[in-house]
Amino acid sequence: MKLFDSIKKDFSTITWVLMVVAIAINVVMGEIVVLLKLPIYLDSIGTVLVAITCGPWAGALTGALSNTIWGLLIDPNALPWWPVAMFIGFVAGWCAIGGLFKSWWKVVIAGFLIALTAATVSTPIAVYIYGGITASGSSFITAYLLQTGQGVLQAVFSTNFLVEPVDKISTSLLAFAIVQGLSGRFLARFPRPENVEVDKTAGRTQVLIAIGIVIVLVLIAAFVLTNILTK
Amino acid sequence: MAIVKLQNVTYKYPLTDTPVLSNINLDVKEGEFVAIVGPNGAGKSTLCYTLAGFIPHFFKGELEGRVEVAGVELKSSALNEWVRNVGLAFQNPFNQISGAKYTVFEEIAFGLENQGVPREEMNQRVEEALTMTGIRDLADRSPYSLSGGQQQRVALTSILVMRPKVLVLDEPTSQMDPIGTREVFAVIRRMAEDGMTVIMAEHKVEWIAEFADRVVALKDGKILLQGPPSDVLTSRLLSENGFGISRYTSAARESLKMNLWPKHLHLPITLQEAVDGFGGKK
Amino acid sequence: MHERLSFYVKRDSFLHRLNPLTKLTLVFGLVFVAFFSPWYWTPQTIFLIAIIPLSFLGRVYREYFGAAFRLILPATGFLFLMQAFFQPIGTVAIFKFWFLDITAESLAFAFANASRIFVMVSSFTLLLLTTHPSDLMSDLTRRGLPSQFAYVIISTIQIIPQMQAKAQTIIAAQRSRGLDTQGSYLKRIGALVPLVGPLVFGSLVEVEERAIAIEARGFTSTRVKTSLREIPDTGLDKTIRWFFILLVIAAIAARIWL
Repeated sequence: MKLFDSIKKDFSTITWVLMVVAIAINVVMGEIVVLLKLPIYLDSIGTVLVAITCGPWAGALTGALSNTIWGLLIDPNALPWWPVAMFIGFVAGWCAIGGLFKSWWKVVIAGFLIALTAATVSTPIAVYIYGGITASGSSFITAYLLQTGQGVLQAVFSTNFLVEPVDKISTSLLAFAIVQGLSGRFLARFPRPENVEVDKTAGRTQVLIAIGIVIVLVLIAAFVLTNILTK
Repeated sequence: MAIVKLQNVTYKYPLTDTPVLSNINLDVKEGEFVAIVGPNGAGKSTLCYTLAGFIPHFFKGELEGRVEVAGVELKSSALNEWVRNVGLAFQNPFNQISGAKYTVFEEIAFGLENQGVPREEMNQRVEEALTMTGIRDLADRSPYSLSGGQQQRVALTSILVMRPKVLVLDEPTSQMDPIGTREVFAVIRRMAEDGMTVIMAEHKVEWIAEFADRVVALKDGKILLQGPPSDVLTSRLLSENGFGISRYTSAARESLKMNLWPKHLHLPITLQEAVDGFGGKK
Repeated sequence: MHERLSFYVKRDSFLHRLNPLTKLTLVFGLVFVAFFSPWYWTPQTIFLIAIIPLSFLGRVYREYFGAAFRLILPATGFLFLMQAFFQPIGTVAIFKFWFLDITAESLAFAFANASRIFVMVSSFTLLLLTTHPSDLMSDLTRRGLPSQFAYVIISTIQIIPQMQAKAQTIIAAQRSRGLDTQGSYLKRIGALVPLVGPLVFGSLVEVEERAIAIEARGFTSTRVKTSLREIPDTGLDKTIRWFFILLVIAAIAARIWL
């Protein structure tokens, strides 16, 4: 019963309306980054916005529907990936409930967790439906890793693990920035406004900590990468 | 018999200290057309949302006093039942399109589908509503292909088809161009002639004079004055308190000082009244 | 100019007259059979004996083949090449390009994989060409899909072109104010903010009023909802649905036991 109540809490009328706008934002953002030729997708930005203001279940549904609509109407290659989008929303929602969307450096951590989830969930899909090589540019990396003799699952996961964090951390930071720009009165309309009550610590300190965490993550990634390459 | 009763209504938005409505007492009779006027920030929209039930159910905050429509009290009602009695249309026509339907006909039926009206009755009621508001020719168009004025008329029709007891309109022509304004007021005129109870917040004083049985002047959340349009809209109290008044009224008032306006006549609000008065009609 | 984000073509055909759920079952049936069947030539066979005839039955062959050549073939073709070159299976290279090679095995694998994706996309294209979104949603809602889902799906489909138009306006406006969208890397990242800001905030502000509007139209009514559109469901529909369900079961069984 408690689970059912938790799910119900996410969904009020404004949740459904936000979902519509969020999915449209996903689509248009995806197009803008193509226009600006940036190496990120940002096509989960709407999903994350729903997840942090309404909850993990609403976020999950937004991701699933977003991917489905995208796949049916824009690019059918996106269709098999709906579980990834769903889990992105789900994990973002729980990160928000856990208070990770309250200051800049915590948001970086949330972005990293979301990236990890995306990498994990997309690996079996890539392997079992596509045999590891998908139609995206990151498959070049997978191909290289496969050449070095790695197992398919490992190669695909490594690729995803390298590619996802940049996009998902950027997405989370952007979502956080957007929510910061909304008034408290407006946010109060949504089911979980408490997720985005910002910590009162000095803004400057937070940004420095955030940069610090990013540096740490980059170092970890470099360490992991060299390990993979020299294996 | 008053179908709408507001008793000592005071309201504060969440996280604020100043009440936006203070001690509002207002009764509206069935079939009456009440216009709410006031400068920006007077609380017109807040009053509209309160009558429509969105305050307090959607906006939260602290609502004191009693709000009653057709004998039912607001605080003990659920919003989804309250909207059956009170219909609401507001300024932005684009935001009132649900988006869930591809044609105007279906868009209008959306509310009836939600209420569980049987299919045959739905078809009949939508046809009636389309004819009544004069938008039959738009029935097969996509709501998103329409002009602002057309969209607003569709929004009004969509609410009317649900047969509310009271209709609340929050500045329905604010975002319209002159043609759209005329189209929307034509629909409102039909509704008024039909005997619908209407409460409308508006700035356009000349139009109010044509429809309203009563005008309520709101300032800083309190009722400053209420009465027939010809009294309220020409009252000095309004012009002194920052209300927008008809330019014909101002012209006539100045003319009165120079004895150029007949002393026994009410100050004019509309162009016609001004022409009649200045032209010497008794 | 994206006016309508929809594949639907209004026509009177056998496929058009079928119940939406039937078509959905048909499509999923073809996809699952293509993916589960152990026989190598399944996808190609499905294309010949199912996809092509269906496009004629739906009187949408022109639109389908147009979409197939313009959209589906290039996408799956790219996938085919990627897989042919990069799947590290097989040892003898039958074709070499720079440092990349294709083996007989990777060719076979790529062809099979690309064919499956091709069948999947083609099936869904046929569904979308012959089924009006409102009909699909009405039918699914009647069968138990929460009406809020139908609201979200259709509203999103309709609002995307509006938002794309809004984005175009903002891009043009910002460009006329000197925004550089093609300069250096850093400049392009910086361009993100003045583009995203107005778009996102402008859209989010509308959310409140839109919620009020649909609430006023009984969106959260607890009464049983009715539907204006009447979608027929015939005996033929039910037969077709059962046929495809059995076909999928047979394909899965074949995979497990063969």
